[in-house]
Amino acid sequence: MTREDKEKGLWRSIFPINFKTYNTYHSEGHTGQYYMLPPAHIQKLFPYGLPPRFQLQIKTFNEGCVMVRPPALELISYLKRADYSKPPLRYVLYGDIGTGKTMSLCHALHYCYTQGWLIVHIPDAHLWVKNCKELLPSSSRPSRFDQPIQASQWLKNFKITNERFLSKVQLDRYVWTKRESTEKGQPLGELIDQGVNRMKSSSDVVGAVLRELRLQAGGATEGEGAFKLAVAVDGVNALWGKTSLKKEDRTMCEPEELTLIHNLRKMMKNNWSGGAILTALSQTGSVFKPRSAYLPNELLGEEGFDSMEPFVPVSVSNYNEKEFESCYLYYLDRNWLQHPHSRSEEGKKELIFLCNKNPSILERLCAAL
Amino acid sequence: MAASVRHLLKPWTPSLCFARWSRYNPYYLDPDPSKDARVPDSELSPEQKELQELKTVRPIKAALSSDTSSPFNDPLISKFINMMMQDGNKILARGIMTQTLETIKRKQVEKYHRSPAAKRLEIECNPYTIFQKALENCKPIIGLASVQKGGKSYQVPVPLTDNRRRFLAMKWLITECRDNKHRRTHMYEKLSQELLAAFANEGNVVKRKHDLHKMAEANRAYAHYRWW
Repeated sequence: MTREDKEKGLWRSIFPINFKTYNTYHSEGHTGQYYMLPPAHIQKLFPYGLPPRFQLQIKTFNEGCVMVRPPALELISYLKRADYSKPPLRYVLYGDIGTGKTMSLCHALHYCYTQGWLIVHIPDAHLWVKNCKELLPSSSRPSRFDQPIQASQWLKNFKITNERFLSKVQLDRYVWTKRESTEKGQPLGELIDQGVNRMKSSSDVVGAVLRELRLQAGGATEGEGAFKLAVAVDGVNALWGKTSLKKEDRTMCEPEELTLIHNLRKMMKNNWSGGAILTALSQTGSVFKPRSAYLPNELLGEEGFDSMEPFVPVSVSNYNEKEFESCYLYYLDRNWLQHPHSRSEEGKKELIFLCNKNPSILERLCAAL
Repeated sequence: MAASVRHLLKPWTPSLCFARWSRYNPYYLDPDPSKDARVPDSELSPEQKELQELKTVRPIKAALSSDTSSPFNDPLISKFINMMMQDGNKILARGIMTQTLETIKRKQVEKYHRSPAAKRLEIECNPYTIFQKALENCKPIIGLASVQKGGKSYQVPVPLTDNRRRFLAMKWLITECRDNKHRRTHMYEKLSQELLAAFANEGNVVKRKHDLHKMAEANRAYAHYRWW
């Protein structure tokens, strides 16, 4: 802990094995310790990105603390050492249900945010392939379908996260309808406003935004305009699985026929440069996948695996003893474990037995105690 | 007495199998699943030693499948879950109970973290103590029974047993939450609001208890109609 950390005020020392430090100084020695996310960053970066139970926890404890764990550290070390003049590396976080894939992804994304990257974050790709109330046939292409609500929601969140990049200049001319078009050289903010205001063309706006960012991310030669692009998608297996949406003639919709999914797939290909693609698999929101499937092969399917290959797999597993200890002490510190028996040694052994050191099950158990 | 009852202990298999009722011979003792039952002999008083002896000799009823040997098992909470259960859906009832305890704890812990250090000691965060205290505050001390005398029936104030008081408190809590709240709120939300109000001696259930007490006080004159 250096003097700079103390000045930044982002650390709090509670127990010898459990204290909080600033982001960039994370290393292997810090596993198991809790890192506090500044509230301003949470509001900006994660309007809808964090898991719902974690959002409840932030509200209850009045602070957002993330445990530093090996998968996230691995990801951050790769991001530090990657060469950004080459095509982007694809990282896939995989693991059993409730082991912390989304949280590790959010941790790595926060690192990117503090380094000043432009963040493209899709909190849950599964929400785009199921339960869609309005499925309009696309205005630009005949065989595609648009999802205006999801697209405009995503654009609003994108605007909140990347406010400083909104004055970027864009390249091409896009025509939306007979009377509306966006000219060359207009700032990105206007394009996004166009999508938010005109719901009909919002899915196409999303496609245009992604295309612009891909073309401009590699522009590292310009001094001020250079930025690195971080594409973070949670629930990547939704892009290549099945949807639960039906067309008007009651046949099932393929993911390829949805504009949003089609554009995202183009983003996943590594034919651009100057950034990284961070993804996490997810079985919980997936459609028509068995609960025991967690490996990339099973969840992505053949098509998905071939498109994502080559990728860097990062495995996320349950807590080990040190991490469990740290989590237990954190809950004690935050006055969360109230039952007198849970504070004893035997109670702790019972908790270990009941949850098998799975983070999400431990959280749900401790909530009721 | 025990000796006379004992001969009825012959294994009796009913011709019809009763699925719901468990009519045990009163000779059978209640099970005690907690781990504290295995305390070494030297630490027990003479009465407790006698009780231990009895347990080795007498038959014991079968334990319920909802009781665990873990100290996390609370008989009061189990009773409340059973009362909330509808159509035998114990999983749903238990889920609602855990969600209620979680909601109470979240509200209190949030209040704890947002208040200054001076006020923190007064805030009670343990949902189990809140539940017990709230139930205590809802229990009526005296009840009313309907007694018929001379063709007319009078509401006579009557003492209540402990079990009856606990039953009434739980029943009032559940019916209050089911009937008198907004339709679209979840049961665990309604319960947590009612329990926190009862903990502070406010709310509709405590009001109902007070109304009962007032009725009993008003009908004091008929107290001598009671013959038991």
